[in-house]
Amino acid sequence: MQERPSKSLFEKFGRNRRLRNEICAQRERLYRLAWSWCHNQHQAEDLVQETMARALAKVDSLREEARLAIWLTRIMANLFRDQFRKQKEETGQDFEPVTEETPEEVTDRSMLVQRTRDAIDTLNDDHRQIITLVDLSGFSYADTAQILDVPVGTVMSRLSRARKRLREQLEKAHTAPSPVVVPLRKPS
Amino acid sequence: MSSSNDIDLNAYVDGELTPEERLEVLDALQHDSELAREACELNNLKSQLQLAYANPPGLSAGNIARRGPSLLTIAASIVMLAVGLLGGWLVGNEQAPKDRLVLLDPDGRGQAPATAESQETRIVFHLTTPDQFTAAELLDDVEQMLDTYKEEGKPLRVEIVSNGEGLDFLRESMSMFKDRIHEMSQRYANLTFVACKNTIDRVEVQHGVDVKIVPDAEIINSGVDYVVKRQQEGWIYIRV
Repeated sequence: MQERPSKSLFEKFGRNRRLRNEICAQRERLYRLAWSWCHNQHQAEDLVQETMARALAKVDSLREEARLAIWLTRIMANLFRDQFRKQKEETGQDFEPVTEETPEEVTDRSMLVQRTRDAIDTLNDDHRQIITLVDLSGFSYADTAQILDVPVGTVMSRLSRARKRLREQLEKAHTAPSPVVVPLRKPS
Repeated sequence: MSSSNDIDLNAYVDGELTPEERLEVLDALQHDSELAREACELNNLKSQLQLAYANPPGLSAGNIARRGPSLLTIAASIVMLAVGLLGGWLVGNEQAPKDRLVLLDPDGRGQAPATAESQETRIVFHLTTPDQFTAAELLDDVEQMLDTYKEEGKPLRVEIVSNGEGLDFLRESMSMFKDRIHEMSQRYANLTFVACKNTIDRVEVQHGVDVKIVPDAEIINSGVDYVVKRQQEGWIYIRV
């Protein structure tokens, strides 16, 4: 008669299965962060998809389960950095975000939200990433340092500069005349 | 305000200061209205940013799920695989219920113990879904199983048969796991990847494309016939 699998075998399978569920549960959080970096739905979706595929493929390498969110975000940050680097090398240009929303959708949404997104859009990659990691995802400075692979001191100084720059952009937008938006009419 | 003060103030609103440092900043805020205004603006900025990305395009419309499997699908796959694995392990136990296995062969001919002859456990995984998460999970499970059996000195043979929508797993142009399949094929002599020629022919006719299969996979005529035959030979059958 065949032996029953050992307890350790069940434990191994159980751990990976549980982790995979937890990775999938992080999808929405990752997408929100990815979109704040790309400002482009398809790129954000691809970034999240690739991140999760890589994470699922190497779930064994995760040593501290409590740091799953940091581990996942670090994978995504590396992918984001490499994609941008590749794109810059190939085209010599920075990524240009694409506005995919219709004027009606933009009008529907709060101008404050739009102004904030526009201001974030003007930041460079480093500033955009650090400010969203801390303010949007709520990572500590130490976690952010680990995700971006930089010293904590760099996180602190970069974050300070990023916020200063963002506030300047928001003030500029606030003093600029509001665009006149003509709502589209439905055919009668 | 100096750069150093800026950094301290940011650390204060982010809750990154020690209690002593925090008291120092609080004291400064009480005596410096400009500093207090700065702290207030930084807090507002945090809230404003969270609001700006609370509902980005593509999130509420369920587009994330569209491009990948839904959580329900993933959960279902996991449950299916778990039941399959458990059934596979228990099939050698005479007291295991017969209905734990997904059987292609309704006559029950595949229910013979998989280790009947040489104590070698033989398992055929039948992959019929294009879901890459399920495929990743399958590879993880198979890898662990192969390692564990090797560590414990137990003989094991595993085959992964892809057909139907599961063929993407072994297609050169579609598979996300080409490197891993190659690496695992090299590492485990007792692991075989198998592609279904019927499916290849059907895809080529329907889509007018030349389907190339990863070099590490073997190609058989019919995936369904193959897994039925394996069951008849006493292999544990697990549908993924």
